[in-house]
Amino acid sequence: MSLDYVKFSGGFEKFMPKEYRDMVEHGPFGKKISVSQMGSFKEILEEHPMCAGCAMTLFIRLAIIAFPNPEDTITVGTAGCGRLAISQAAIPFVYGNYGDQNGVASGLSRGLRLRFGDKPKDVVVMAGDGGTADIGFQQVLHSWFRKERFTTIMLDNEVYGNTGGQESGMTNRGAVLKMAPLGKKFEKMDMLQMAKVAGCAYVATVVPNNPRRVESVIKKAVLIAREVGSTYIQAYTSCNIEYAIPTDKVMEDAKTVENDRYQFTEYVSEEAKQYLTERYGYKDYLPKAAAPAAAIPTKA
Amino acid sequence: MYLVANINVEICASKSCKLCTQYCPEANTIQYSETMGTDKGYKYGTAYIAVDRCKGCALCVWVCDTMAKNNAIKMIMIDQLPMAAVTDNIRYEEKTTVAVLSNPMIVIGN
Repeated sequence: MSLDYVKFSGGFEKFMPKEYRDMVEHGPFGKKISVSQMGSFKEILEEHPMCAGCAMTLFIRLAIIAFPNPEDTITVGTAGCGRLAISQAAIPFVYGNYGDQNGVASGLSRGLRLRFGDKPKDVVVMAGDGGTADIGFQQVLHSWFRKERFTTIMLDNEVYGNTGGQESGMTNRGAVLKMAPLGKKFEKMDMLQMAKVAGCAYVATVVPNNPRRVESVIKKAVLIAREVGSTYIQAYTSCNIEYAIPTDKVMEDAKTVENDRYQFTEYVSEEAKQYLTERYGYKDYLPKAAAPAAAIPTKA
Repeated sequence: MYLVANINVEICASKSCKLCTQYCPEANTIQYSETMGTDKGYKYGTAYIAVDRCKGCALCVWVCDTMAKNNAIKMIMIDQLPMAAVTDNIRYEEKTTVAVLSNPMIVIGN
């Protein structure tokens, strides 16, 4: 796991496909890149079999660009649409049994710490709402209670999109789907509140219609997970097939849903704020109002 | 035949908002080239489509029309494109890419 794992073995360069050569020579490995440079460097993500216009793909694309050290990152996933794209990236991808992604990531994260010590190696779990909130729920919550140091990202498309449209715990109440024709009878699970109760150091909701925000949220979550504790991001990534959203209206839907029930929220624990400020120079969490307020009494 | 996105260089190179490069769900499909715009005397570079990767979702059309309000992207049947870029003809440079445009049907037929 280092920059060297993508490089060519001696003499093999001319046999490698153009896409691979471009990635080694012009990829983001070992460089600082941002979403504003998209379109001018070779991305880690390659062609993938996900549906045209899928918002989940866009989110995965942005997430992979946002990883602070892609050469030192391992992604963990489970059954679901997301793994079709995550596995087509030049980042090691571990595919667990359905629902055990956070258990696998716990062991992986601990093992990497034993092997590499303080050198940061990031583990990022990207799984769907079914894998995170339904089938993998127990392992997800336990990994948070244990304060395992890795990032969990839920790709919340509010349906089991890969298997024909069954309702998931994250489906909204009343939603009628192909395999849930009577409409869902229960409320959408409040995973954000559960993440806070379970002690996650960073919890955020995000919608991919704001690429810079996605980048910032993922960077923070991965950095905090290096030392402070579990981090959780819940991303609304609509399923345009099961919810019958025309592909060119996917971002319009994302905007509507963001304004309606998926507003950007961010919870950062005090320890995480201090860590980001001291270690990585984040200025957002410095006490702003406190400085002038403190100055007034001293003058008086 | 199928639809792919096509970017009007004249409009794109006068605005250069780069929004479409950030919203395309496919990696390395909407690319950005400085020379493709400035060589033709426009102020900025332009975005362009690697047509062999485009799945035709038209998400970029909505982004260009509604978010950027530039109306520079249209969906066109692939055999109606006069010239287009394909992945094999795209070269990466420091902060831009250089694409040799060719008739997409000839290249895909190879």
